[in-house]
Amino acid sequence: MSLKKYISIFKISFAQEFAYRINFIMWRVRNVIQIILLFFLWTTVFSDPSKVIFGYDRTKILTYVFGILVVKAIVLSARAVDVAGEISRGDVSNLLLKPVNFFKYWLTRDLSSKALNFIFSAFEIVILFLILKPEIYLQTNLFLLVGFFLSLIFAILAFFALLMITSFVPFWAPELGWGVQFLVIVIFTDFLSGGLFPLDILPSFIQKFLYLTPFPYLIFFPIQVYLGKITGTVLLGGLLISLFWIFVLWIAMGWIWRRGLLIYRAEGR
Amino acid sequence: MDKAIIVDHLVKNFEVIEKKPGLAGAIDSIVSPKKKIIRALKNISFTIQPGELVGFIGPNGAGKTTTLKILSGLLYPTAGFTSVLGYDPWERKPEFLKKISLVMGQKNQLWWDLPAAETLELNRAIYEIPKKEYEEVVSELVTLLEVGKLLNIQVRRLSLGQRMRLELVAALLHTPKVLYLDEPTIGLDLIAQQKMRDFVYEYNRKYEATILLTSHNMDDLIDLARRVIVIDEGQILFDGALEELVSRFAKEKIIKVSLSREDDVKKIETIGKVKKISFPEVILSVPREAVAVAAAELLQNFPVSDLTIEEIPIEDVIRKVFRGGMRRSLQK
Repeated sequence: MSLKKYISIFKISFAQEFAYRINFIMWRVRNVIQIILLFFLWTTVFSDPSKVIFGYDRTKILTYVFGILVVKAIVLSARAVDVAGEISRGDVSNLLLKPVNFFKYWLTRDLSSKALNFIFSAFEIVILFLILKPEIYLQTNLFLLVGFFLSLIFAILAFFALLMITSFVPFWAPELGWGVQFLVIVIFTDFLSGGLFPLDILPSFIQKFLYLTPFPYLIFFPIQVYLGKITGTVLLGGLLISLFWIFVLWIAMGWIWRRGLLIYRAEGR
Repeated sequence: MDKAIIVDHLVKNFEVIEKKPGLAGAIDSIVSPKKKIIRALKNISFTIQPGELVGFIGPNGAGKTTTLKILSGLLYPTAGFTSVLGYDPWERKPEFLKKISLVMGQKNQLWWDLPAAETLELNRAIYEIPKKEYEEVVSELVTLLEVGKLLNIQVRRLSLGQRMRLELVAALLHTPKVLYLDEPTIGLDLIAQQKMRDFVYEYNRKYEATILLTSHNMDDLIDLARRVIVIDEGQILFDGALEELVSRFAKEKIIKVSLSREDDVKKIETIGKVKKISFPEVILSVPREAVAVAAAELLQNFPVSDLTIEEIPIEDVIRKVFRGGMRRSLQK
């Protein structure tokens, strides 16, 4: 297995994303608008800078909002959203015919998409920062920063497996692909992972339950670590649960993939 | 040398859920799905020697493409044994995949929004082709297929014929030893078809590649395939030389006579089926076993100035196969 193979895949995938410039820009615009809306919502709620709700003051809630922008760009942006369609159209045959590992191929393409999105979101943040002039919380604790990056990597791996598993539905039900993906990824994941609001405003028994699922570890957990709201043993415990989920989801992903291939029909003709 | 391809008692069943039209039908298929087994391949066997170029003939839905897909590892066979170059295709080992290629006339691997050159570069990396070898192969394929000027144009802007030729370049970069071509000339104009055929012939000869070809285009088969396998409803009906196909399956022969007088034309219908009359020539089709008697009768009773007996043209036989007539004519 050579790294060169995957560098090539990374490059062509990057070039491909640029071929859909307008699409890409619209997608970014949507993110920015979402952030602006959240920004104004929370600045209104926290109009008094000294007010603290659910452990958030204005600085931290605004950092949370900006954190969503970055973490979403890194974790949730994925080219592998195309997999469901490729399976139901039979286009996945092209890849199956090549001496390349399916999962490594898509992970590489995801990373390329994430890189592009990250570059743009960094750019957007600078602009939004200059316009809105929010007070942002800067984490300086090295231990927490390492925890933050580690939790980001875990989040990427967990989300990849979640996305893949939902993408395999068309093996059994070709026409359900998009619907399932929309439900699981767009609605469920965004909502339960803290992509819309910080999860700690929910009742504590719901929070406790959510922490046992893989979802909070995608967005909410990394940002909390950055904000210094999750530290020490809770941080380590969270990383362990997240690691456990990666393990379970990756095994499930491989198993479902192999089952799917057995009944794959290579349609399209 | 060993066989390049072995297919032994291969069976492939697809399970499909029947759907009735309309919303009620859609709901019905979810609530109480009616499963149906489609038997795409019913126990087929054949072997192919290295370097052979074999044509697959059969009407739509006969199982040709299914066979190619199983032999390239895309479909999981329900039962039976397959081996390509000593590999089990289903395992899709990298070493195996580096030696084969499947080209489908209606599927493309070129990245739609990018110039073909980008896909070629990607394939070079994926197949781990050394730079020098890559450059040689590309320049050769590009010259043979005359696509030099097209490499840097966005694929979406190319015509179908141009795209198909570039598809071939992408599919052959790693110089596969086994090549499956599924309808390679579909949708191409006559000149492009000829170019494609010439190329396939060249490739087979030069690289001693084993080629399995399916086509609805009779010229493809006549030009390229010495051996054909006729498949219909998932079963092999014939496997042998193209000429033999005619003598095996054409139940009739053609008698061409030139007459010296026109008024006898009516009576001639009693001898055989008149296919065409354009005085002085009359073309009759006569059952194979009756051909000698018919010819004798013609010579005796009609003012014949010339008479020839011919086989039905290959095209007509194949056309019959595509209409699904082969099976019916066998059963008769």
